[in-house]
Amino acid sequence: MPSTDSTYDVVVVGASLAGCATAIQLGRAGLRVALIEKQPDPQAYKRICSHFIQASGVPAIERLGLLESIEAAGGQRPRVHAWTRWGWVEAPPEQAARGINLRREVLDPLVRSTAAETPGVEMMLGWSAERLLREHGSFAGVAARNPDGEERELRARLTVGADGRDSRIAELSEVPVKTSPNARFAYGGYFEGAAPAHAPDASVWFLDPQWAAAFPTDTDLTFYAAMPTKERLPEFKRDPEGALVRFLADVPEAPPIREGRLVDSVMGKVDMTNRMRRPVAPGLALVGDAALAADPLFGVGCGWAFQSAEWLSDAVLPALAGEQPLERGLDRYRRRHAKELRGHTYFMHDYSKGRRMDLPERMMFAAGARDARSAAILDSFATRQIRPAQMLPRMVPRAIAVNARHALAR
Amino acid sequence: MSAQVQRSSLLAGGTRTRLVQAGPADATEALVFVHGNPGSADDWTRLVGAAGAAGHRAVAFDLPDFGETIAPDGFEHTPFGYAEFVAEALEELGIERVRLVLHDFGGPIGLIWAMAHPDALAGIVLIDTGVLPGYTWHTLAQIWRTPVLGELFQAITNRSGYRFALNRNEPRGLPREFVETMYDHYDRRTRRAVLKLYRATPDPGGMSENLIGLLAPRDIPALVIWGEGDAYLPSSYAAAQERAFPSADVHVLPASGHWPFADAPETVERLLVEFLARLGAPPR
Repeated sequence: MPSTDSTYDVVVVGASLAGCATAIQLGRAGLRVALIEKQPDPQAYKRICSHFIQASGVPAIERLGLLESIEAAGGQRPRVHAWTRWGWVEAPPEQAARGINLRREVLDPLVRSTAAETPGVEMMLGWSAERLLREHGSFAGVAARNPDGEERELRARLTVGADGRDSRIAELSEVPVKTSPNARFAYGGYFEGAAPAHAPDASVWFLDPQWAAAFPTDTDLTFYAAMPTKERLPEFKRDPEGALVRFLADVPEAPPIREGRLVDSVMGKVDMTNRMRRPVAPGLALVGDAALAADPLFGVGCGWAFQSAEWLSDAVLPALAGEQPLERGLDRYRRRHAKELRGHTYFMHDYSKGRRMDLPERMMFAAGARDARSAAILDSFATRQIRPAQMLPRMVPRAIAVNARHALAR
Repeated sequence: MSAQVQRSSLLAGGTRTRLVQAGPADATEALVFVHGNPGSADDWTRLVGAAGAAGHRAVAFDLPDFGETIAPDGFEHTPFGYAEFVAEALEELGIERVRLVLHDFGGPIGLIWAMAHPDALAGIVLIDTGVLPGYTWHTLAQIWRTPVLGELFQAITNRSGYRFALNRNEPRGLPREFVETMYDHYDRRTRRAVLKLYRATPDPGGMSENLIGLLAPRDIPALVIWGEGDAYLPSSYAAAQERAFPSADVHVLPASGHWPFADAPETVERLLVEFLARLGAPPR
């Protein structure tokens, strides 16, 4: 139960991946953290999610001490094989980065129970943030309400919005937001008895502009996803399962989806508008999707949730320990967030217009299919281990050379 | 795997055409493949073999002045003239019940045949073709339809230009041999025939409403396959086929262009064989 003393160092709104990761790190550093979550059920989990965690997120998960329990729970450690019209882009196995696949149904409760057990973290399930508290021109916690109508003021030096793509905290704090449209929609579902080639590795198909993926996961299930452009929406709305199966079964080198059986139901998301918010305001920070809801096509959401939580904790800990003003810590977080993700976001959001690949993209993918070293560079980029500014100088000259050699050899 | 495909020839409509066939040769119900432009009986070898292996009679032939087949004197290079040729070939082959497989310009030709013989149509497979309500010709067709410009264009098209132009419009590119064979067949006769055929077809969508009115009530079993990256006949027409064939099984192949049977042969073969299995074995 929440204590009667309602003053904390930090109040985190949202006990999903980013919120729990933030609370765990700050709690372990000796801070008093209130972690509020509007879902009363500790087993609650995010339903509409590909659940793929890019390799970039793995170090943050390891640092939280969660990697072992994720693997013990059946989590897979996939590499990614990407189909393009030039062939498969596959980094040599020893160089390919490995992400994580574990269903959110298993992952979310696991992360949440770790947060709840962390000393200093007070988990308040069933509480939702109603409004932000302010003090001296700065945000200073939230007023929260439970389903019985009880309201409490949770005062804190730092308020963290970890409440997802439609963040209420972001809305209340009125941080600037930039949106860009996404021309695709997403449908997906779990299938048993339909493991794709390369399993347990993941396969994605860049059908240009359409997109499909197969993510083998725990308990021998495979999550199959399609992200077509919106012209294809009517057939998916009319018969979600039929359209999903047909779409995947018709891709080149198609996976055996038709031999499998759908478990549970097919999920769809039609509006995937990209949202980038300024991740800080006085006394407040946003993490995970609340800060940046990027195109799910690239599977970055879960990984970046863990990473942004890590960046925030590292940036604000000295301030919360009283060594420096909080503003400095928040500013450090804002700069880190921008540095790590802005370049990636620029490319992703441009591609989410639903356009065909442009010439540089075609050249890079073609080189990736024809040359192992190029594939390895693309793999580091796609798994978000390196930024565009690190990828392009290595990739562009190589892509030109590889494609020229290919053209001459014909 | 594919059964033995037999290559022979057939005397029909006053000419000798190349014939590719498989399956029981005496069956009166057959799968009949009609190629488009530029195309030939060779387009269908793999699918004819697959249908034959599945126990169905399957036939494909060159249309006059395509492939290696020469049109007889006085042949009418119009969709109606070609549809008449199909009717004569089927009579010659003793085929009474037809499951059509149509591609590209084979669509209008086959559908005109179907308008004249609706009771003989037992099923249909449409590959990047079909009823095209509201369709206006693609740029290349407009060039062919323009006097002088069309002739000029046909005269200057050479092998490498042909290869380049074709692949430029294809999302995955086409197999080299497929393009080479197509160009080998694209001789002066074919070039002239193409100009005549397109010039005789001012409104490719014109008959659509009539066809829909005639065919939709019959609810003929149909399979529609369309390459999403088709640069000539947009894949938005795939779903429109349900207006003429309400129970159609529609597949838009996301990585394919105008020739899915060339750039995604396994997928098209699988879809065709499954469609045939759903229809069941033809009566012998």
